[in-house]
Amino acid sequence: MGTTTEINTDTIQSILKQNRKQIKLGLAMCAHCSLCAESCFLFVSNDNDPEYMPSYKFINSIGKLYRKKGKVSKQALEEMRDLVFEKCVLCTRCYCPFGIDIPSLITLGRNVCRSQGLFREYDR
Amino acid sequence: MNMTIFSNTVFLDFIKGPMVWLSFIIFGLGLIVQTIRLLKLTRIKEARRFAPDAAIVPQTDLSKWERFTRYFAFLRITVLGANACLVLVSFIFHVCLVITPIFVLGHNVLLDTSFGISLVSFPEQISDILTKFVIAGGLLFFMRRLFLRRVRMISTVNDFILLFVAVAPFLTGFLAYHHIFNYNIMIVLHILCGELMLMLIPFSKFFHMVFFFISRFMIVSEHSLGSPKRSWQY
Ligand code: HEM
Ligand code: SF4
Ligand code: SF4
Repeated sequence: MGTTTEINTDTIQSILKQNRKQIKLGLAMCAHCSLCAESCFLFVSNDNDPEYMPSYKFINSIGKLYRKKGKVSKQALEEMRDLVFEKCVLCTRCYCPFGIDIPSLITLGRNVCRSQGLFREYDR
Repeated sequence: MNMTIFSNTVFLDFIKGPMVWLSFIIFGLGLIVQTIRLLKLTRIKEARRFAPDAAIVPQTDLSKWERFTRYFAFLRITVLGANACLVLVSFIFHVCLVITPIFVLGHNVLLDTSFGISLVSFPEQISDILTKFVIAGGLLFFMRRLFLRRVRMISTVNDFILLFVAVAPFLTGFLAYHHIFNYNIMIVLHILCGELMLMLIPFSKFFHMVFFFISRFMIVSEHSLGSPKRSWQY
C-alpha cells in the first residue's frame, strides 16, 4: 500500500497544469479507434485484454485525472496505479497512426501516482 | 400552405448563400488558426537519429528482393500488419470522403452557375459508388464501436456524434440524388450537414486531418515519416 492515505489534490492539479497542453492535445486527437492495441506486447500476451490497450491506459489515467480536474478518490488513483505501473512497462513501443505520444502520457499518469505515494509494488 | 422550414424561401436562401460562405470561412480560418496553435507547440531541434548509423551497421549489398522483404517486415510492425483490413477500409473511407465532394457533378454545377468556374467532375455513377463507400465505411466503424469491446471501452458519445456528422452529408446526398424520401427535405438536410461538418473540422477530432501530417511528418519520433526536424515543446 502507498505511504499516504489522503489525496493531495493541489499537487495533482499542479502536475496537470504544467502539462495541460500535452494532455489536452492527446485527448482531443485520439480518435478512439483502438488501432494501437496490437502494438503493445502486454496487450497481445494477455489474451488481447482491452485494459492493456495503450489508449485505454492513458485515457483512464491521465485522461481521467484531467477530466476530473484532479479530484479523484484514493481508490480511483489506486486503479490508475495498476494501469500505469502494472499494465504498462513504458517500453515505448506503442504505435498510434496519428503519432500520439502515448508513453509520455502514461508517464504523466505515473508522475501523478508517484506524487501521491503510489507506485509499482514489486512484491505483489 | 406548406410553410414548413424546408420550403421557407428566406431560410433556403440563407443556407444556400451566406451560410455556405460562413462555413467555408470558419473552416478555412479555423484550420489556419488551429494549425498555427499546433505548430507553436513544436520547435526545431537538431537532428536526432533513430536508426543506427550505416557506419556502425554496414549495409551489405542487398538484393531488390531482400530490400523488399525488409520493408515488408517493417510494415508488419505498423498498424498495417496488425489490422490490414481496417486500415484498408479506413483508407477507402477517407479518400472517398475527401474527393467525392470536390468532384461530384452537382457541386461543380453550383460552382459554375455562381462563379462560372468548375473542376472536372466524376461521372455520376462513379460519385454514387464513392458515396456508397463512405456510407459503408461509416457503418462499419459504427458497428465496430458498438460491438467490439475494446473500441466500446474507449468510446464516448462524441465519437458517435462525430462519426454521424462525417457520414450524414453523404447519406443525405445519396438519398436526395436517388429521390428516396422527400427530395426537398433531403437536399436541405444535405446542405446543413455539409456546412456543419465543414465548420466542425478545425475544432473537433476531425482536426486530425492536419494533426496527422504534422505529427507524423514534422515531428521526430520513432515512427515518424520523411525527415522531420521538429519536436514537441508543449
Ligand atoms: C485528410 C487527411 C486525413 C487523414 C490522414 C486521416 C486519418 C485518420 C486515421 C489514421 C484515423 C484512425 C483510424 C480509423 O479509425 O480508421 C481516422 C479516423 C477517423 N477519421 Fe480521419 N483522416 C483524415 C481526414 C478526415 C476528415 C476530413 C474527416 C471528417 C470530416 C475524418 C473523419 C474520421 C472519422 C469519423 C474517424 C473515426 C472512425 C471511427 O469512428 O473509428 N477524417 N482518420
Ligand atoms: S492512441 Fe492513436 S491508435 Fe490508439 S485509439 Fe487513440 S488514435 Fe487510435
Ligand atoms: S509503453 Fe506501455 S502501453 Fe506502450 S507498448 Fe510499452 S507496455 Fe504497451
